[in-house]
Amino acid sequence: MYTQFFGNYLLNNGYITSEQLIKALGCQQQGYVKLGFLAIHSGYMTSNQVEEVHICQTHDDKKFGEIAIEKGYLTEEQVDELLETQTPDYLLFSQTLEDLGYMDSATFEEAFNGYRKKYQLSKDDFSHTENDKLLEVIYDHYDISESTLSKYFIQYLSLLFNNIIRFIGKDFTPHMAQKLECMPEGHCAYQTILANRPITSYYSSDDNTLLSFASRYAQEEFPEIDEYVEASVEDFLNLHNGLFITTMSNEYKIEMTLEPPVTDRNFKLRSNADYYIIPITFSFGTVNFIFEHLVP
Amino acid sequence: MKGDFDIMGNRVLKILVCDDSILSRRQMKNMLSSITECSILEAENGEIAITKYKENKPDIVFLDIVMPIKDGLTTARELKALDADVYMIIASSVGTQNSIKEALTAGVKDFVQKPIDKTQLIRIIDAYLEGGN
Repeated sequence: MYTQFFGNYLLNNGYITSEQLIKALGCQQQGYVKLGFLAIHSGYMTSNQVEEVHICQTHDDKKFGEIAIEKGYLTEEQVDELLETQTPDYLLFSQTLEDLGYMDSATFEEAFNGYRKKYQLSKDDFSHTENDKLLEVIYDHYDISESTLSKYFIQYLSLLFNNIIRFIGKDFTPHMAQKLECMPEGHCAYQTILANRPITSYYSSDDNTLLSFASRYAQEEFPEIDEYVEASVEDFLNLHNGLFITTMSNEYKIEMTLEPPVTDRNFKLRSNADYYIIPITFSFGTVNFIFEHLVP
Repeated sequence: MKGDFDIMGNRVLKILVCDDSILSRRQMKNMLSSITECSILEAENGEIAITKYKENKPDIVFLDIVMPIKDGLTTARELKALDADVYMIIASSVGTQNSIKEALTAGVKDFVQKPIDKTQLIRIIDAYLEGGN
């Protein structure tokens, strides 16, 4: 996930423009070689075993290699060997930027070292999806200590970015959070987590972005907006929020419940609530995730 | 052996899928149809599910938890009161300790966390056909 935030760093430090970022994300998505593919290609796993691990990944917040070792399909040595073969995301990103003529390798190295220094990251950190340093990076981007949002909000965001990687794709860059004054136009779906301090999260985007987001989530091509497209976005929110409250219950013994998700294109901000918007740029468009907290 | 049979003697399960998401219902329907001969009934909330249960007496009921009008756990309790032999499975993204406890108390046989995959459904269908609890 560090690579996704690195895109934001490049943008904010003037290394690339947002148009260049979108183009690079699109090209990068096409260049990924998954570990499962490499495992089949190396003769270590069958396609059925790879499929089984992929299914497990949709339920367990674990990496492909971890599950494959647990199931006895790969040894630790084989996972290390495959990881060495697999091009790390940040190198693929570097290659893409260079191929597109947006940045030479020396400039990339300078930017990359600056980013690593800022967050005290090693190159190995880039292959991790969950660790304390990652929460620090997220916290640095979304310091909401002055807001009324829950103290668990950083965990909420960390899980959101992981779920986006799992169910939508890696080709995105999250932007900084801003306080929202009026609801963006376009599609809007939301869901409320009922807790001591309820939080409502919103999905908002234009229609073309909605079609791409829904198609990726449902893994089918939607040519036009219909009830299945709307259901895809509601299902994404419901799945993410469901996994979040499950984690809160299992790890922190905090019980929360969910209200059903709702689609409402004419939603207006409530006067008794704080709203924060986090735009996320994908190769196919920008999705705004918006978070509401009712002011007591 | 459980289930109804078609004119060719094939076993056909009657399955009720209760979920407010039209996409989830379609995905469940496609997966179940690829696993076993079955006729699928759909309900978008617990109230409709109870009506359809009374009318059709399905072999298996899949219930989502978070739904408008009547949620899955309330529906499970009401179905159990209606028919002590009802065979219910919770299929939800919510797997909190409280919801699992409530589901078990309501007499639910199994719990599958979304996103649902075919392997989980095969296990559930097999368990039902073997008469397992």
